[in-house]
Amino acid sequence: MSFRLNGVGLTHANGFVALKGVMLQAEKGERIALIGPSGAGKTSLLSVLGTALAPTEGLAEVLDFDQNFWLTAEVKKLRTHIGSIHQSPPIPGRQRVVTAVLAGKLGQWPAWKSLASLVYPLDIAGARAALERVDLADKLFARCDQLSGGQLQRVGIARVLYQQPELILADEPVSALDPTLALATIRLLIAEAEARGATLVASLHAVDLAIGNFSRIVGVKAGHIAFDLPASEVTVPLLHDLYASEGDELPVQAHEPHFLSQAAANEAATRAACC
Amino acid sequence: MSRIDRDPAARSRLIGALAMLVILWPLFQAAEVKPGVLFDPGNLKVIGNFLAGFLPPETGNEFLGYLAKATLETLAIATAGMALAFLIAVPMGYLASGAGREKATLNPVTRSLLTILRGIPELVWALIFVRVFGLGPAAGVLALGLTYGGMLAKVYAEILESVDAAPARALRHNGADRPLAILYGLIPQASKELASYTVYRWECAIRASVVMGFVGAGGLGQLMDQAMKMLNGGEAATILLAFMVLVFAADGFSGWLRRALDTPPANRASPFGWRSGGLGLALVVSIVASFSYLEIGLKSLLTLGPAFDSVVVEAARSIGEFVAGFFPPDLSAEWLAKVGKGIWETLAISVVGTLLAAVAGLLLALPKWRAPFSFLLNTLRSVPELVWATITALAVGLGPFAGALALALHTAGVLGRLYAEALDNAPPAPGQALRLAGAPGGFAFLYGTLPGAAPQLIAYTLYRWEMNIRMAAILGFVGAGGLGQLLYFELSLFHHAQASTVIIAMLLLSIAVDQASAWLRRAMR
Repeated sequence: MSFRLNGVGLTHANGFVALKGVMLQAEKGERIALIGPSGAGKTSLLSVLGTALAPTEGLAEVLDFDQNFWLTAEVKKLRTHIGSIHQSPPIPGRQRVVTAVLAGKLGQWPAWKSLASLVYPLDIAGARAALERVDLADKLFARCDQLSGGQLQRVGIARVLYQQPELILADEPVSALDPTLALATIRLLIAEAEARGATLVASLHAVDLAIGNFSRIVGVKAGHIAFDLPASEVTVPLLHDLYASEGDELPVQAHEPHFLSQAAANEAATRAACC
Repeated sequence: MSRIDRDPAARSRLIGALAMLVILWPLFQAAEVKPGVLFDPGNLKVIGNFLAGFLPPETGNEFLGYLAKATLETLAIATAGMALAFLIAVPMGYLASGAGREKATLNPVTRSLLTILRGIPELVWALIFVRVFGLGPAAGVLALGLTYGGMLAKVYAEILESVDAAPARALRHNGADRPLAILYGLIPQASKELASYTVYRWECAIRASVVMGFVGAGGLGQLMDQAMKMLNGGEAATILLAFMVLVFAADGFSGWLRRALDTPPANRASPFGWRSGGLGLALVVSIVASFSYLEIGLKSLLTLGPAFDSVVVEAARSIGEFVAGFFPPDLSAEWLAKVGKGIWETLAISVVGTLLAAVAGLLLALPKWRAPFSFLLNTLRSVPELVWATITALAVGLGPFAGALALALHTAGVLGRLYAEALDNAPPAPGQALRLAGAPGGFAFLYGTLPGAAPQLIAYTLYRWEMNIRMAAILGFVGAGGLGQLLYFELSLFHHAQASTVIIAMLLLSIAVDQASAWLRRAMR
């Protein structure tokens, strides 16, 4: 068993119910895609699995740790086995790529090694190997603020590869990448999970990317699980039902919905007012 | 290890660290850093007895009367000094600024005059004016007015230059004069920053006027000086408390004023409401009250009775002689070497003090320890460096180490607060992500949070160091080494030619610091 959520509910301090009665279980090595409209609770679900948020109801067990009886020391031990990939890579801009990648093992290293690596990176070969897999080995000693958004996202993935977790959680890992790179990245994550027998849970915005690559699809809607099916059994009506709140079209890679950003909208309004 | 797996930055890091050591070692030597002295039994006894004397603070009626009078005097010096500074700053800033000019001309004469005004520390001006006008608040007001006038003018000019120039240019092309173009085109953009900086300077003026008492320019500082010289701990404690209350109150008031500047104007013909009207009235009243409280009347300078003439002529002659005594400055090789040593010592004090402060400030700013120590930070910060120097001089004896410690104490308070703000503003996501990957809190901070905040921390530290070099130059007035000690001796001995060299050295140091920090900021960008 990799994780088991039993009737998990999550109510935020302001009273917003993010999750209710979620039952979800995964065996070791499974690869699961979470899909659903924005605000459905995909990120909350990943946060519970990643121990960032404790469920307010129900029982969550992750990698044989019983979440409701956590002690701080145990949580730390558990967390070293969980690798998270975030929508925007949480890496300081002035850090060097090599340091950012090595930071994946801070929870596993002895304190002296973590301290020394701030001055001289102690596992350059390991960092290089992880970066090679995301095609960034040449950026090993570059500073993170010299990278493009897509490159930085791949550094974040390299960090998780270097961490070698048993459970990989990815929250919209490719929404900032162009379609070709997105596909390659998803395949890399799947290959990594497969090679090491790790469990992979990824929330994805693009339905085609999910169904084309993952064996198991979980549809999330309004804080609960709408369906939980093998990819081959997911039908178009089912998807339309899932995305009913977002209109008639399904979000796919080929034509991602484009939203006018606020700045651009303002600019347009200014131009309209001037002329 | 294969050749490819070597960190290319390692060599330059090693060289950098070695260079640091090579530079810092002699500086620590020059600052006479001897931590052992802090724990010397004899010194411990002196400072222990003195600090024990702090309790209970003096609360006798007679003393409290003196204290109230001195506090009022300090406030009045600050307010009157700021009024004078404003009068100097507005025309000078207008002349020096390139704002609203068709062709950007930097008025070199005004600019260099401003550099001289603010390059010489207010305490040195005060020391000189005390000799001209005698002991009393007039020297303090003049000194504040000149230095702060120079600073305000420079900053006003720069603020006006930094806002969008297009509105003023358009007005000028439509035939408006430069003053009107500035008033209608630039002031609306810059008014908040101008007002906010002026209020901030007033806050600084209160601190400065406290300090100027140490050279006999009246106010709380003079009282403190007397209490310290008599080792009267009880009185010193009460005065310190009064300092803190004053500084906190000024801090709070200026914060409130700056927030009030954010309110949008009322929806009527005159944008000024009861608050601006009331404040304006209060401002005028407090300036008039300050001057009359300090008994510096323009009248006494203007109404010249017949019997007065000879006195005035006599005074003018003695001032002239006094000023002439400063020229030519003593440029003998022997004296220059001594001044050079003073500059080196001043630099050493500032570097050591700032480094110690940065370490202490960072520790106190860490989220883990911030809560219990924020009061300590505020206390450290509210006591001016010069006052700390009188206390550290007791603890480690006269000399540069006392100065470095005093700088470190005050600066630790300032930097601690700035660091805490910077750490709060640093992006939280990287540290949080590392914690979720199992990193211990300390390392999540070192790898995730600190890199995000580092540029800000370094910028704050450099900025404080810049201020500390200037401060280190005058700490010597209470015996804490550096150029100040040299100047104080020479002025006490009426060696004006030698004093003049020291003042020029201070001025050059200040200009060099300006240039160096501008260069550093560009290099860091």
